[in-house]
Amino acid sequence: MFLVLSPFIVLAVGALLLMLAEAFTGSERSLSVVGSIVLFATSACGLAVWLLGTDNVDLSVLAPWIILDRFSLFFNALLPFGAALVCLLSGGYLEEHRLQRGEFYQLIFFTTLGTMFLSAAGDGLTLLLGLETMSIGAYALTAFRRTSTRSVEGGLKYFLLGSFSAALLLFGLALLYGVTGHTDLAGLRDGLAHGGALSDPRVIFALLLVLSGLAFKVSAFPFHMWAPDAYEGAPTPATSLMASTVKAGGFAMAIRVLVTAFGDPASTSWASGWPPVVAWLAVLTITIGNLIAGRQDSVKRMLAYSSVVHAGYMLVGLAAFGAAKSAAIASILFYLVTYTVSTIGALGVLILAGSHGKEAVSYEDLAGIGKRHPALGLAFSFFLLSLAGIPPTAGFFGKWYLVKAILEGGMPLLGVITVLNSVLSAYYYLRVLVFMYMKEPAPGAPKAVPMRSGEVNAALVIAAVCVALLGLRPGATIDASEEAAKTLVQ
Amino acid sequence: MSTEASRTSPSPSPGQIAGGGLPRGIVPLGIFAAILLGLVGLMFAPANEAGSIQSAKHSLDVGSNALGALLPILLAAVIGYTAPKNLERGSRITIAIIAALIAVFVSRMWGGPTEEHPAETPHLLSWLIGLPMAGGFFLLFLPRQSPTLLRTYTMVVMLGTLALSLPLLSVTMGREFHFNHDVAWIPQFGIHYHVAIDGLSVWLVILTTFIVPIAAFASYGSVQNRFKEWCFALLFLEAAMIGAFVSLDLFLFYVFWELMLIPMYVMIGVWGGSNRIYAAIKFFLYTMVGSLLMLAAILYMGSLYGRASGGTFSFDYFELQRLLIPQHVQAYLFFAFLLSFIIKVPMFPFHTWLPDAHTEAPTAGSIILAAVMLKLGTYGYLRFNVGLFPESSHWMAANLAGVAVLGGILYGALCAWKQDDIKRLVAYSSVAHLGYVMLGIFSGTASGLQGAVLQMVNHGISTGLLFLLVGVVYDRRHTRAVNAFGGIAKVMPVYTAFFIIATIASIGVPGTNGFVGEFMVISGTMVSKALGHFNGVQAMGAALGVILGALYMLSMVQKVFFGPLDKEENKRLTDINSRELIAAVPLTIMIFVIGFFPKLFLDPIAGATSRIQGDMESRVLANPPNVNAKFGGYYDGPVRLQARKAEATPLLATPPAADAPAAAAQANVEGK
Repeated sequence: MFLVLSPFIVLAVGALLLMLAEAFTGSERSLSVVGSIVLFATSACGLAVWLLGTDNVDLSVLAPWIILDRFSLFFNALLPFGAALVCLLSGGYLEEHRLQRGEFYQLIFFTTLGTMFLSAAGDGLTLLLGLETMSIGAYALTAFRRTSTRSVEGGLKYFLLGSFSAALLLFGLALLYGVTGHTDLAGLRDGLAHGGALSDPRVIFALLLVLSGLAFKVSAFPFHMWAPDAYEGAPTPATSLMASTVKAGGFAMAIRVLVTAFGDPASTSWASGWPPVVAWLAVLTITIGNLIAGRQDSVKRMLAYSSVVHAGYMLVGLAAFGAAKSAAIASILFYLVTYTVSTIGALGVLILAGSHGKEAVSYEDLAGIGKRHPALGLAFSFFLLSLAGIPPTAGFFGKWYLVKAILEGGMPLLGVITVLNSVLSAYYYLRVLVFMYMKEPAPGAPKAVPMRSGEVNAALVIAAVCVALLGLRPGATIDASEEAAKTLVQ
Repeated sequence: MSTEASRTSPSPSPGQIAGGGLPRGIVPLGIFAAILLGLVGLMFAPANEAGSIQSAKHSLDVGSNALGALLPILLAAVIGYTAPKNLERGSRITIAIIAALIAVFVSRMWGGPTEEHPAETPHLLSWLIGLPMAGGFFLLFLPRQSPTLLRTYTMVVMLGTLALSLPLLSVTMGREFHFNHDVAWIPQFGIHYHVAIDGLSVWLVILTTFIVPIAAFASYGSVQNRFKEWCFALLFLEAAMIGAFVSLDLFLFYVFWELMLIPMYVMIGVWGGSNRIYAAIKFFLYTMVGSLLMLAAILYMGSLYGRASGGTFSFDYFELQRLLIPQHVQAYLFFAFLLSFIIKVPMFPFHTWLPDAHTEAPTAGSIILAAVMLKLGTYGYLRFNVGLFPESSHWMAANLAGVAVLGGILYGALCAWKQDDIKRLVAYSSVAHLGYVMLGIFSGTASGLQGAVLQMVNHGISTGLLFLLVGVVYDRRHTRAVNAFGGIAKVMPVYTAFFIIATIASIGVPGTNGFVGEFMVISGTMVSKALGHFNGVQAMGAALGVILGALYMLSMVQKVFFGPLDKEENKRLTDINSRELIAAVPLTIMIFVIGFFPKLFLDPIAGATSRIQGDMESRVLANPPNVNAKFGGYYDGPVRLQARKAEATPLLATPPAADAPAAAAQANVEGK
């Protein structure tokens, strides 16, 4: 059983040991590399457990608090992988911007641990524990640049709204407990299936609260307001952590809660009515996110809105759950993988494009950079094209699989809205290319000077290889996401 | 026509020659000659081998081959001697070699494919895609500081691709597909890497491999900044375009289709004119709207296939062709594909991106855009819309033909007439010319379809040449306004000769390529049943379009080239230089080759078009229309799969029964 729990154990023990090591040696230089090794090892443990399987292991001790099925193992491999890349990015970024402090890495570790618990949580209690572990780390990371007002502002906003949303979620779960007498998700499902729960207004209200809380965490419209400020204010590695691992954790939670507790279409008439609500949320999230993203002057803020938009795409997949069942969930899982590597890559290039005092933030900063630094421009184009969903990149397959699930779920209109929104999003991704390749910096304007960092380069190379591989040979990952989805949707 | 050019050229005066461009061009051209001559040798080799089996005919074969080899050399000598004397020796030799090679090509093609056992290497198409793509990636490791190396390297890769593409003609293109290569790519979704070629795509592939080196060569003088990226974009674009023409898996097709966009977007946006960014984004977004809807339709068809077949997925062209989709669903799928393709063609009312893109694109970008990329729209319609939705394309044919005539041929011509920018005029003339192609496809008759396919090639050649020549004058004057010129025939006589040849080809004067295609399309429209009662009117409209074509092209030529030479700047214009001449000559020769020997080109096309026509007619006969129903009312049952036709599965290189084709080939040789 300890073997099955190894991802959690490796990460927790590794984090504590690193804290000690940092305290005793007082050196922060090698923390990022060692930290990323710990996270890669965690991811490898998750993968190993996946390959070995959990069939012969007695997990009844953990039930119902922690569920170690294929679904959570999938996230146990994915979440630390994203965090490991972020860790490498942080090494270069913090050094360059004189922010090098050991606690940054600890915060990454504990945030990741929180997301892993979140993906495995089978009970309202563990769910909230995981959520708070994750969120508190993320709040602190956002406000990490203490001297910058934007960073602190972003952190405060994120903290206030985040705690509010956690409270909503908690309230919703409490109401459900009041109706059914259960806090574990499986028990909730059974409780909702029987008795008078069908027509109980408290259930509807609770569902509304739970949905709002979840929408906050995945930054869906109309609860996305915090995201751009937090993403823009945070140090860029923290942004990439929020856009990848934290978002994936949020989706893991949303999928598990909705599918496990409310996913039985035979049980409740009202409570299984969430897919249409999610569909509306998704459509509004995508469209409004795209429209606002197109009007941004800052690339970082554009990427923040783009992260909102991508959350919307995944919500479309979630909305297709009603008809497409496990295919819909599998498409979200695969999308999360492709989105994680693409967005970390894009934000990583943004980190690489700036140096101390000359950070690349706005489009203007990037003017002509494709000419001065061809490799950097090429890498940025590659990741952005993946985000825009141009073949043959990872992002294209993510979108392909998602639209396929939607269409198979019998929602052609939703599919058409999704693909047409890709055109809108292509506009602002291409705008970066326009500035990088087709414009020159205005005379006298400060131009971004790329930094040099082996760690950032390593992270980008890994991300680029993943994007290319997922674009050309996505087979194994698709198999894995399908298997993970099937265990969840019985 | 080189002789014609020499007649019109004035006595050489050294100051008039642009001169400097040559030494840079000589290296790639030497390699060009070497590769193509080597290829000619290769083409001869198997014939001799086969001849040696039958010793009686041996000497005859060798004799005719020797004559066949001698004639082009003679021709080359004559052309090299009569070429304009003000050109340097190197470029005259090059032009002679190009002429000789094309003569060899015509003589080799004349008797049809002569190889007895067409050795279809299944990987040939993959090599065709892979060579420019791998070449492009390798280019990234070459030093930016040495443009000569980059130039030579790019040209070698492109000419190598051209040489590789010529063996495609060595097999008899019947009704079926050749060079089939099918491997599973992503088995989870039933996605295959499936490429094959038939008479429809073979000329388009060769057009691509033929036009791209010419465009690249033409750009060598005018593109100065960021040359390495330019070469990379060209190679990448070539690979993607070839890939789109040969892929038979819809997913693979979509991948290449989108992949094509990025290099062209960058070409317009980086090396374009003053308003390039607007044009580039407009081009990209227009195309993307259509292609994403097509993506949704492809996915939906895949899931319909999965439903009909009980769980297995496929995006294979032949598999999806078996799918019988109820008309009310098919109509939507048809429109999604249609939108994507008519944006690309472009057809009214989605043509507005084209003039902007052409006006802002660099010359080579315009050539490739007009000559090849627009063909992907017409090719896609014929291959996918007609092939996958025969009922819907039959149902919509008459209406769409009306749009093609009114919105394409006539409106395009009228717009072209009113343009005062030469390049914009040629761009609008493309809208008109592609109207003919679409009309031929909609007519659904043998003559119309063959004419349409041939017209795709024709338009590629003649409009490619026109854009090339507009680029020549733009490089000198940095304006393309018609009224900035006047009387420049006096200072640029050779250039004028070439421009007039391109013009008459574009108008469709008999003896040039344009005539054959337009004539076949119009006669096919006249007898078309699919177009209903209005076929005669539509044929008349198309014929009127030819007259309008003469009107706008000739009035432009008159204003630009003739009349008094009254502008001071124009008096100093230098005539076409050797680099530009070398780029223009092969296109000019091909205009007449197609004009005089259309049979060479129509023979491979005929089989494929008769298959397409037959498939469509049999489907429409099986599910006859009902005019009262909302969507034409063809098939309206559940989605189901038809049985596989023996013909529909591409037969991979079954060596034909040894006797029959060999005897036929022998008869051909004797007949000569």
